[in-house]
Amino acid sequence: MLTYIARRLLTLIPMAIAISFLIYLGLDLTPGDAVSHMIPPDVIGTMDPERLDELRESLGLGKPFLVRYWIWITGVLQGDFGYSLAGGVQISKIFLDRLPATLELSCAALVISTILGSILGTISALTRGTFADQALTVVGMLGVSIPEFFFGLVAILVFALNLGWLPVGGRTLPGYDSFWDRLPHLIMPALVLSIMMTAGVMRYARSSMLDALSRDFIRTARSKGMPEWRVNLLHGFRVALTPVIVLIGFRLPVLIGGSVIIEQVFQWPGIGKEFLSAVRSQDYPLVMMVALFSVMAVLLASLIVDILTALIDPRVRLGD
Amino acid sequence: MTDRTPGPDPELALSVRDLKTYIYANNRCNRALDGVSFDIHRGKTLCIVGESGCGKSVTAASILQLLPELSRIEEGEIVYHGAEGPVNIERLKRNGRRMRAIRGKEIAMIFQDPMTALNPVYSIGFQIKEMLLYHTRLGKRARHAKAIDLLRSMGIPLPEKRVREYPHLYSGGMRQRAMIAIAMSCDPRILIADEPTTALDVTIQAQIFELMDTLKREQGTAIMLITHDMGVVAELADDVAVMYMGQIVEAGPVGQVLRNPLHPYTRALLESIPVLGRGKNQQIRAIPGQTPDPYDRPTGCQFAERCRYRVDACAEMPPETQVSSSHRVRCWRHREFMADAAE
Repeated sequence: MLTYIARRLLTLIPMAIAISFLIYLGLDLTPGDAVSHMIPPDVIGTMDPERLDELRESLGLGKPFLVRYWIWITGVLQGDFGYSLAGGVQISKIFLDRLPATLELSCAALVISTILGSILGTISALTRGTFADQALTVVGMLGVSIPEFFFGLVAILVFALNLGWLPVGGRTLPGYDSFWDRLPHLIMPALVLSIMMTAGVMRYARSSMLDALSRDFIRTARSKGMPEWRVNLLHGFRVALTPVIVLIGFRLPVLIGGSVIIEQVFQWPGIGKEFLSAVRSQDYPLVMMVALFSVMAVLLASLIVDILTALIDPRVRLGD
Repeated sequence: MTDRTPGPDPELALSVRDLKTYIYANNRCNRALDGVSFDIHRGKTLCIVGESGCGKSVTAASILQLLPELSRIEEGEIVYHGAEGPVNIERLKRNGRRMRAIRGKEIAMIFQDPMTALNPVYSIGFQIKEMLLYHTRLGKRARHAKAIDLLRSMGIPLPEKRVREYPHLYSGGMRQRAMIAIAMSCDPRILIADEPTTALDVTIQAQIFELMDTLKREQGTAIMLITHDMGVVAELADDVAVMYMGQIVEAGPVGQVLRNPLHPYTRALLESIPVLGRGKNQQIRAIPGQTPDPYDRPTGCQFAERCRYRVDACAEMPPETQVSSSHRVRCWRHREFMADAAE
């Protein structure tokens, strides 16, 4: 098991390098460069082209593409993420500031949607064909098909503006920094972010559970005189769990992507919001790092999924 | 209908009387079991034979109330004769406490396909110990030791190691042995085996049957074996019941029924068996026609349409007739067949 994890981690390295190269290449191909962004457009026209080249040279932009990539990637590997073009702040500092907020939001949404989705899906499967099942199915379809920002706006309108139960947005108020102070701020964005995934997990858990319940070993368990809760949960749900775990794992990166919009709606000071403004202001070093970070999240998520699958399903054998 | 022997028979394990189980689908009703009666005795094997869809498995499922959701025992009774007196199973709540106390503990069951009947995410040991946990008072260690003993007595090598393994590491024959180990873990009085070897190859089949035969002899377990293989019947059965379209058309001690079949369907089944060594040109008489639509059954004898000996009387349902103390048949012309046999 440990050797398997180690080996999987090692195979992540070439993949990460290849993807980082593609990200760098893609952004290099976009029109304009750092200089054209640093200097206002009306000034650039009046400037001496030689001075511009000098500036490019001093920023390292005159070097060949591969050399520039090498400088960037070795820097990243050493923990030097470079500087944001907007404001010249260290990118590592931006990450340190913003990442905890994003992770807090995504993890809360992940936990909510996993638990809620599995429970509702199981209830739906066990009450198949009844009113409860049909109601959950309709709610699930709505949850999957209505975009999150809409839920976000409605939630702000109802719970923050009309009822005044929860704050409109932000992560904290100045001077109120404890977890309990922050919790009310977290509730709405986390719930809204988890809606779509809860609905997805619920639909998936339902069909997975129905599939498990129709299998022969369920009849075997009944024939052994096991009580219904044990037949349904220990024998049915346990088997239904594997595909659900896989689904949740692969939704993990989507959660980070989804938080870009939700962070914007709720003014949540996370990476997603930073990413959006970086793209808007052509802050390429920052865009690259956020993209790289998302890619690493995807790779790690797939590794975690594999390990979890192996832990809960003995038929999946990790090469040992 | 059979006459009940006066006074309780100490060897009687289960008696089914005029059982009717109907299955409903799309607002239609399939009278899957239409008046089935039989007895199972301790230390004896009753074989139930018949082609696919004749109600063999529904009979087994009715006894343990493991029927599909849209089906119901409509009439008749299933009486289990346990240590604490007779219990009318058909009156128990389907998944209720008393039904569950009988399942596994008093009447255990093994299924057709051992590949799918075991839960893939739990070890074999867990699936045996689960049974002991619910039906015995053994402690944790005792359960583990008992699970190992059971596997050993089923002829599984290295049981100490195998008990921790998952079903996918077992071969088909081994899985069926493990399945029997689970079924036998609480010393049930009755073992129901629903075509236990259909999914296994012939050598394994012989081993599994030998195992079941040993259980019957050594522990006095009453066995109800469902099969469609007349060879198996000849080899293992003490009694045999031939089913067709939800009815038992002929039943009796295996020697009488096989040597002296009185129902045309039993005869047809026996004639349709290829015999090893007779070469490929041997006459195998397939039964002509098809089984009727279960939702649209003939009103008379169910087999009439395919029967060589059909007469006008067959438009009426023939009664079950006792031709000897233990041999009964449901055919209008059984007297003629008896006379033939006597010649």
